[in-house]
This record gives sequence, C-alpha cells and structure tokens, in this order.
Amino acid sequence: MTTCSTAPLSGAFWRDALRDLIRARELLRDLVWKDLRARYRYTAIGFVWAVLEPLLMTLILTFVFSIVFQYRPGAEALSPDTPFAVFLLCGLIFWNFFRGSVSDGTKSLVANRELVGKVSFPLEVIPYASIGMGLVNFCIGFVIFLGIHVAFGGGLGGVTVLIAPLFLIQLSIVAGLTLILSCINVFFRDIQLITDVLLTFGFYASPIFYDVNLVRAIAEDSPQLEWIVQVYMLNPMACLITAYRDVLLNQQWPQWQHVAWPAFLGAALFVAGLAVFRRHSGRMADHL
Amino acid sequence: MAVIEVDNVSKHYPMRRGPRALLGRGGISDWFRRRRHGVFAALENISFTVEPGESVGIIGANGSGKSTLLKILAGITEPTRGHTTVKGRVASLVELGAGFHPMLTGRENIYLNAGILGMRHAEVDKVFDDIVAFSGISDFLDNPVDTYSSGMYVRLGFSVAVHVNPDIFLVDEVLSVGDEAFQRKCRERIGQLKESGKTIVFVSHDLNIVNTLCERVLLLSQGRLIVRNTPQETVDFYLRQVGGKEGVHIFSRGAMEAVMSHGRLHLYCNGIELTAPTGMHCLLKSMGQQQTATSAAWEVTEAGPDRCVARGRMPRLPVTVWWTLELEDDALVWKVEAECERSVPLEDIQAHVHLRTAYTHWLYGDLEGAFPELDPGDVTWVNVVAPEMSCRDAAAFPEDGSGLQALHIAGTTSQHHLRLAWSNTDYITGCRALVADVPFPESQRPLAKGRHELLTLRIRVTRDPEALREEARQRQTVHSGDLAARFTNGVIQLYWKDEPLTTLLHAYTSILAGNLWNDSHNLQWDAAEKNGEGVLSVTGTSRRFPFQQHWRFAPMDDRTGVKVSIKLEILEPVVFQEYHTSVVLRREYTGWETDHESGVFPEFRPDQQHWVHANRNYTPGRWISALSPEFPCVTLKRSDGVYPSRMTAVNTGYRDQARVLQSLSVPEHTRMAFEPGIYSYFEGVILVTS
Repeated sequence: MTTCSTAPLSGAFWRDALRDLIRARELLRDLVWKDLRARYRYTAIGFVWAVLEPLLMTLILTFVFSIVFQYRPGAEALSPDTPFAVFLLCGLIFWNFFRGSVSDGTKSLVANRELVGKVSFPLEVIPYASIGMGLVNFCIGFVIFLGIHVAFGGGLGGVTVLIAPLFLIQLSIVAGLTLILSCINVFFRDIQLITDVLLTFGFYASPIFYDVNLVRAIAEDSPQLEWIVQVYMLNPMACLITAYRDVLLNQQWPQWQHVAWPAFLGAALFVAGLAVFRRHSGRMADHL
Repeated sequence: MAVIEVDNVSKHYPMRRGPRALLGRGGISDWFRRRRHGVFAALENISFTVEPGESVGIIGANGSGKSTLLKILAGITEPTRGHTTVKGRVASLVELGAGFHPMLTGRENIYLNAGILGMRHAEVDKVFDDIVAFSGISDFLDNPVDTYSSGMYVRLGFSVAVHVNPDIFLVDEVLSVGDEAFQRKCRERIGQLKESGKTIVFVSHDLNIVNTLCERVLLLSQGRLIVRNTPQETVDFYLRQVGGKEGVHIFSRGAMEAVMSHGRLHLYCNGIELTAPTGMHCLLKSMGQQQTATSAAWEVTEAGPDRCVARGRMPRLPVTVWWTLELEDDALVWKVEAECERSVPLEDIQAHVHLRTAYTHWLYGDLEGAFPELDPGDVTWVNVVAPEMSCRDAAAFPEDGSGLQALHIAGTTSQHHLRLAWSNTDYITGCRALVADVPFPESQRPLAKGRHELLTLRIRVTRDPEALREEARQRQTVHSGDLAARFTNGVIQLYWKDEPLTTLLHAYTSILAGNLWNDSHNLQWDAAEKNGEGVLSVTGTSRRFPFQQHWRFAPMDDRTGVKVSIKLEILEPVVFQEYHTSVVLRREYTGWETDHESGVFPEFRPDQQHWVHANRNYTPGRWISALSPEFPCVTLKRSDGVYPSRMTAVNTGYRDQARVLQSLSVPEHTRMAFEPGIYSYFEGVILVTS
C-alpha cells in the first residue's frame, strides 16, 4: 500500500506496480463484478443485455449503412466478399472496447471519489476495473462476432490466433490512455468532457463502418493529399482495426506497419501512464 | 522500533474558490493572468512516533488537522513535506462501509469492503462468520445493502473494519455509531484489540474515551502539534485552550484557575487540573426526566478576571440555569440558581463535581474512607457513603506524590434539603464524583416563576489534609473551657484537655419500645450544624418508630460543662416502655454520687456479662456524678423532662469495662403513651469539674 516515488524506469518501480496489482487482483475482480451487478441488477432480463447491446448496435448500423446509404465495401476493399454486418462488427467490437474503457476509465476516479478519499489502496485498480468491465463486454461481443462470422460462411484459420497479440497491443494503449486521462481528470475535470468529444470524433476517424482503402483512395486520386492518409494512419485504432480485419476476415498476416506503430505507442503510453498515475496518486485524495 | 514514525510532516492544500465561482480551483484564466492562490496549511511540521501496542489519541478542535494526519498515516494522501513510515498492515476505520455498493448484497459487500481494506478472499472466508455475527445482520445477508437501515449499514461497516486484523488501527470518530448496545460492543472490541497488542491511533471528540483508552494523547491546534503527553495532561491543556468563545470563560486568582465551558467547569490549581475531564456540571430533573445543563445554550454574561456569571437556557425546560462563579485565594464558590419562566415541576437538582482518580480518599462529615478501585466491570456508579447518611461537608484527599491538593467541598442551600454524597462513577467516565443533591419534595412543587437560589458549593484547596480532618472534627465539637463535646454518628464524645473521658457508646440516648432498645447511634442523623455561638444542633430520625430526636449542645457560660437539650418529636401516636440518657465513662472512674446516696463502682468480674446497677435507691432524682482520682468529676444533671427519672450508676459487662451514668425514665403505673407533638426528652447539663 505504499505510494511509490521511485523513477518509472527503475526495477523497483515495476516491482512495486506489479506487486500492488497482484495483491489487488481479487479486489479488481470484485470491483468489476460490482459494476456488472450494479449495471444489470433490477433489469428484467439481466445479463442478456450484455449480449443484446452489441447486437442491437450492429443491427442499427447495418440498417443505416447498408440499407439506407446502400454502402457496400467494393472490389477495392480489404475483404471484398464479407457481408456488411460481419465487416462492421469486426471493427465495432474493438472500437466499443476502446471507447467504453477510455471513457469510463477517465471518469472512474471521480466517480469513486468516496473510495479514493477514505481508504488506502492502489488506486490504479479503479481505472483498471473500468477496463475490466469493458473487457467483459468485449468478450461477449467477440463471441457474437465469431458466431455471426461463421454463420455467414466466414472461415477461421491458424492466423486467427494473431488476434491475441494484436489485442494485447490495444489493451496496453487503452490502459496507458486511461491511466493518464483518469489521473489528469482528477486535477482538471475538463478532460472527461474533451475525451468524450474526441472519442466521438474517433468513431468517424477510424475505419469502422467504412473500409480503410476508402481513405487510401484519396491519396491514389490526388498524390498531394498523401499526408492525409499518413495522419489518418497515426490513429492506432485505424491501424489495429485494419490489422484485425486482415487477420479475421482475410486470414492473412497483418502488414507490419499496422502493428509496429500501435505496439510502440502502446508500450510508450503504458509506461508513461503508470508513471504519471503513480507519481500523482498520493495527491489525488486532496483534489476529489 | 517504532511502528509509526512521523518526521516533520506538513500538508498544504491549495485554496479553492468559493462555491459561487464556476471554476472551483484555479482555472485556465488564472493561469494566464499568473494569479496565484494561497495554500492552506492543514499540518505544519508534525513529528512523533508510536511504539507497537500503544494507543494514541489525537484531539483538537474542528479543523485542527486531526483527520488530515490520520489520512496521511493511512496512506490516503501524501504529505507535502516530510516523511512518514508506517510498518505493518494498516486498517483505517476512517469511513465505515467505504465502498459499499447499495445494489450489492451484504455478503458481496463484505468481500468488496474487506478487499478495499486489503484482505484476500481466503482471509475473509476465515472471519466471515465472525463478521456476520458481530454485525448482527445475518438475516439480511443476502439482501441488497440499499434495503438496510442506516444503523445496519454502519454496523456492517464496523464489523468488517475490526475484523481486518491489521497491526495498526486508525480510528476516526467512529465509535459513536449504532445504538447503545452496539456502541458498547464497539468499545469492548476496541478494548480487546488493545489488549491483543494492536497499535491504535484514534481521533475523537469524546474526551472520556480518549482518557480511558489511550496511553498518550496528541493535541493538534491549527495544524500544529501542541501537546504530546498523558491523556489527563493533554485533555487539560485542550480544555484550557478552547477558550475565548461565547459560553467559555477562563478566570484565575493566584494559584487558582477555572475554565467555564458551556455548562462544564474545570478547576485548576498551580496549573494542574483537579477535576476529571467531565468536570463540574449540573443536572435538573423534572417530570421524571433528568437533563444535563451541559446541553443548554450557554452564554457568559459577566466575565471578570476572577469571576464569571453565566446562564444556560435548558433545551426542554422553561428554565435558565444561572451560575455565579467566584474565585478566592484558595477556593471556588459556585452558586447555582434557576430562573423559571413559569412555574416548573422541578423534582431535583444535582451539582456534580467529578474529580480525578488520583483522589483516593474521601472525608464525609467526620467519616473517612478510601475510594474503591475503578474496575472495568463497573457499568454503574458505586456509592461510597451509605445512602441514608446526610452531610453538607465533604473532602477528598489525593494519593501521595500526585501533586494534587486536598479538596474541601461545603454545600449550602436556601431550599429545605441538601445532601452531598461521594461515588465512584462508571469505568468509562472514570472519576470520583461528589454529587450535591437538592430534592424538592412533592409539597414544594412546582417551583414558582422567578429566580431561585438552589445551592452553593464552596470548593477549597489545601496542602494540609490533616487540617481538613481536624476541621471536620471541629465542626461537630462544642467547646466549653477544657471540655470538648464532639458529636459523631449519634453519640457525644467528651474530651478533657484532649483526653477522652467517655468510651464505648459515649453520651447517648436509648428508648425501649416494643421490647427493642433504640440507641441514638442507630438513628438516621442529619448533618450537624454549629452556629456562631458554638451551639451544635443535629436531628436524628428513627428508622423503626415514628419519632425524631433534636439534640442541641451549647457551652455553659461559666465554662464548666455543656448544656444538653434533647427534644423528642413524635410524628404518630406511639408507646414507649422506658427511655434513658446515659454517659459511658472510662473505667478509671471509681466512685459515684446522686441526690440520695453515694458509693463506689464494684470491680469487674469475669463472669459478669450484663450491665449491673451499683445504686440501691431508685427514687427519682436530679443529678448523678462520677468521681475519679485522675480525671475531673463528671455530673449528669437534669432540670426537666416529661417523666421523672431515676439517676443510676451502672457497670457494663466485663468485656467493655466502663462506668455508666444514667438518667432512666420509667412509667410509674401506666405505659408511656405519646401523641404527636414535641416533648422534652432530656433537659440539663453535663458538668465536668476538677
């Protein structure tokens, strides 16, 4: 339960951080369980909502884009023969996990201020619990996705296993971002407002309901706009979703540049996030 | 080896803007304008250590930094400067039920809450049943916590917290949760933890608990550590420094100092507090309900350097209590008055003086004794003087080496009755209590509208306990030349130049009724009163028969003896068989003489167990004398009485070996039947002439 002030790059820092996390693993589980119970208790159908929510979301988006806008990934698309619902879901579940965890995690310390100000425990647990909650929803969504994918005749190959390291990269980005944002949010509540706005923007700035080649097409049409594509690909979720689709829908290895940048970013964000968070966790109680 | 080390710790908080500003803290506009907000120093340079197994209390006014310090110890917040080391597992009972989620069941919340406090599931499993049993919510274990009453909520929170089994407990004013029974359980549990060697640091406003549970107390004031000492010393200082507000006045004169604080009075001598943390206060009883005047809204109306007048309006009675406090060089005079807004059925008023336990001996009238040790099992008060005794003078003596002064407390009242009494309080309160009680019998109720003087206590300090004992004796003594007649517990002792003349029963009376002798020392005696002329009067009431005796002793003008006047007040018709007034003298008296004859007392014989008359002539007479070669002649001489009396010389049994001069009244033909009224029982003198 000691607050750590050792340098983030030293062994002691990581040892302490890891020790706190291991000690608090049961607490983490309880907190996630608490959030789940709290969200679905007193609902008529309970946990079914956890399945219904992503399904309904997919239905709505499928209806809007494939029926209203008549959008169909064309021949130039990454995976031309995939049904739109599967294509959409393959981006949506990963994005939902990203959005949900970062958004909830940013607010989590403020939302649990009674706990932070009254009891001493490793505070990282609180944003981690928000991520854990997102993970639970993601897992449900992922199973649904696999079901629909197979139902529409999609195949699953050995490459699919690559989803695990890819997701780990996403997880470290989410964790790093959440730690940094939740920490700053304690001192400047502006952060939780900005985050939600940026996440909404991120939904459109990531290839979720459209194909990434649609953006690449801009550069092909007019080479002087090449920088737009480069900036676009700086969005780690754009890279990751592209990589996920390569692996899941095309059963092929992702392009290395779609993995390298997010991996670097994930490592950097997590180190920075943990360092910033643990540096300031001793002062958080004063500002809540 | 200390488990807690706090080294030069300071904690500063940024000042925040008022609630009306939209931006709570320094916003971005301030940043651009380089406007800096000040900081609030919650703690400044605090250093102390706590040894393993120690209980340390932290007291201080609101906002003095107690909770901040506890938060730093708990690791909830970091100090701005300085360093703390806390060794071992810490449980903070700062907030009970922290992190309870209302939608989860009691069972789920126990695991969650214990987890937040640092316990693993396996550990919780082990104590789970204890937690449930202690909280007493087993029936509702699987109900969501939002269906719990607030009492159940904190009970569950407390149960979890005390079962965390840490090495160090940090407790913040949480011992006042739940109902009376649960609070007792909490205190017991804290006591157990203390005994099992846990280190406890706790913040409280309840000075009693701090006093009982802590070995050491820290006093914080405006973020600084002011005092670090024993509970008594720290609480002392605390009470002294909370002055300066309305309802509080500190006044002194010479070595005496008094602190009047909202209906509670603390007395100091040479800077040492004589009173216990509960101090001096008063209680009013009306319509069966006792109300303490400390709950009144107090206001100091006159604040002199050595005096104080304060009034407190009782919250639920149309009564304002007035206190007039005056310090003398060695005494405090405390006058209590009641101002009634309309007529009030006041039943009783009590003034309490709670003294420190370092006072080990009491004096009550001229009786003396030791206070029993306070025992943790004492949940009620323990009287140390018999409830039928009545007295207006009491004193307390401190144990040797305590540095305290002996105290004499004298009570006066303009009401009909006043009784002082010594008690030990319960263990938690932990002090010696002198209660001055003014009861209002049915006939004097209700108390009319207006201001009434109720009682005055004069509390005097002295370094010389022996002088107090002597004073107590003198208060009940009539002097006449070399003769001293001392009333004590229903008998009169006679001294000639400090040499006792009487023995055994001394001078006493006895009435035979229903074949039972009613000796005067078995009557219930009021406090003896001595007036300015040295006349002692005292009244005794029989417990068995409806009569009272009013004794009055006065020195004779020629200093040869004392005038004795004993009146018999009959309350209901009663029949006596015979009665007498006797003086039991030491065995050195050998000769006797009456109106009619004279003789010598016979030798005491070993087989002689009963009293034996020495004279033969039973004709009623006026006087009888006893003669001794070494001691002055003692004469019992009567001048009046309802019945004629025989003057007889009597030897007691072999065991007691005393000579008795007796004035015995017996009926001549019929029984002695008395109608209600006042009769002359014995009127005469005891002469002592060399």
